[in-house]
Amino acid sequence: MAVTYAVTAVDGVAFGLLLFTVAAGLTLIFGVMDVLNLAHGSLYLAGAYVAYLLSRGGLLDWAAALAAGALIGVAGGAALGAAMRPLARFGHLEQALATLGIAYLAADGYTSVFGGAPLPADPPTPLSGSVHMGGFRYPVYRLGFIAVAAVLALALHWAVTRTRPGVLLRATVADRAMAAATGIGTGRVQTAAMAVGGGLATTAGVLGAPLLGPAPGVDTTVLVLCLIVVVIGGAGSIGGTLAAALMVGQVQTVGVLAAPTAAPFALFGVLLVVLAVRARLAVRPT
Amino acid sequence: MSGAAVTSRPATPASDQTAAPRVARRGGILVALAVLTAVALPFGVDAYTISLASTAIVLATLAVSTQLLTGVAGLPSLGQAAYLGVGAYTAALLGTTATTNALAQLVAGTLAGTVAAALCAPLVLQTRGTAFLMVSFAVAEMARTVASKWTDVTGGDEGLHLPPVTIWPATAPLRGDGYLYLYLLACFLLLAGTVALLMHSRLVLVLRGAGDHEPRLRALGHRVTGSLFAGYAIAGGLAGAAGAMLSAAHRYVSPADLGLETSALALLAAAIGAGSMRGAVAGAVMVVAVRDLLGAETGGHALALLGLVFLLVAYRRPATAWIREHTSRRPR
Repeated sequence: MAVTYAVTAVDGVAFGLLLFTVAAGLTLIFGVMDVLNLAHGSLYLAGAYVAYLLSRGGLLDWAAALAAGALIGVAGGAALGAAMRPLARFGHLEQALATLGIAYLAADGYTSVFGGAPLPADPPTPLSGSVHMGGFRYPVYRLGFIAVAAVLALALHWAVTRTRPGVLLRATVADRAMAAATGIGTGRVQTAAMAVGGGLATTAGVLGAPLLGPAPGVDTTVLVLCLIVVVIGGAGSIGGTLAAALMVGQVQTVGVLAAPTAAPFALFGVLLVVLAVRARLAVRPT
Repeated sequence: MSGAAVTSRPATPASDQTAAPRVARRGGILVALAVLTAVALPFGVDAYTISLASTAIVLATLAVSTQLLTGVAGLPSLGQAAYLGVGAYTAALLGTTATTNALAQLVAGTLAGTVAAALCAPLVLQTRGTAFLMVSFAVAEMARTVASKWTDVTGGDEGLHLPPVTIWPATAPLRGDGYLYLYLLACFLLLAGTVALLMHSRLVLVLRGAGDHEPRLRALGHRVTGSLFAGYAIAGGLAGAAGAMLSAAHRYVSPADLGLETSALALLAAAIGAGSMRGAVAGAVMVVAVRDLLGAETGGHALALLGLVFLLVAYRRPATAWIREHTSRRPR
């Protein structure tokens, strides 16, 4: 029994890290641009479809899919940033509507090209086996995914806290006008953040396709879970996003196994508690 | 900058005051024509169009609720579907267990929506702008998850079926599409009349002011927090009423009814209306027409068509501003 829970908890870590990779992009875009990118799930789905198209079992194909996915995401994110630029001075409603419109167009495009059925995206053959874990057979790919995503999370944390672009990024998140006044090219920082955010989403799509594969509706599922992660984790914070993603991953796996009826309420409860606590800490909106 | 705006204001009303009655009269005639067309509709069109019109009425009610927050108070809400869901499930549970009385269901749905919104308001109203958009969306998605998992009460993903509503205790249940449509129209006109009165109230003035420049209004000593709370609760009540209408119209409620699409389309309708209530209603009719009438002609690409409408509405103001900037220079 305890082993079942342990194995499910590992599943939860994998799912949580998948959510983190997508949500990190969302929180980056929100922090720097003050835009809620409602087309973020569509970017994830683009990556998942790239994995379906390019993965043929070999590690090399898989690497090609990863590179193609990241490129598409970076280009898509930069294009999205350019599309948001003329809307910035008209307010949040216009930006939300534009990203929603892009999400609708993308959803229609995906079903037109790939049909309405879920598609398989198998992990590369060298990683498709399974290992013994306390009497259970556990897929190697998920363990590999955990390793890769953990490295990605560490790299992201290091880049944001220890590098010069990270400093520029944090300055822009903290106070855009002041950052611009000190000579930071905030426009360039914004475009870079959009590109990196988009690239993270599609990379997560390629990596995560064997876990949460390409199918219509996955874009909304991913968007909603990432949004909850960002709201719980706090906007623009990589550490908070990681903690929230791992927690949501555990609730969605171990929580569902332990208390199938209470799990969705647990997530709601955590969200409300976090909002209430933050409301007490927050300064009144001015 | 805002000081200049205030001092330049008195210059404009001189021309506005002569134009205002004429514009108001023309608007009144348009509304009367729209109501007459809506009442006459079931006598002239087929059952499918009537069911679409019923859908449009429910969406219009939700759009009015969304407009009160988005267009009036400046809080872009992507979560009004949550309170629609609360109202719809309340009405449906009442219909299956207690009474099929339409008015009782409408009142119960409205009250439930108001109470749910009032409970969430202290948390949701801590945020503004994009953060408000995010939090309202998150709360709505949580409501949808609860609706799909709380199987004992909501029937889970299978949803709840309810018997047809009755207008008066002893009368026959409303089964015909035409009668049901007229009932929904009556509910909508009642709510629209209430909102029209509300729009002339002091509360809405404060909400508008808060949407334009909240710190200024606070500095002037207005009770912004309380007003926003009241506005949010009223919007929740309107959404709850829309939910009760939805459950009466479909005789069925499921978690799919309170998904992202419902909130998104209501927000789109409100944005088409650009701050006005009549515009939001017209926007809701337009959205349903684009999705279900025009969309049916595109061979399964209704989503792309909606996506284009979203983009058109989003870029309407930047595009007109750009055109104005580039045309006004030439005469000089």
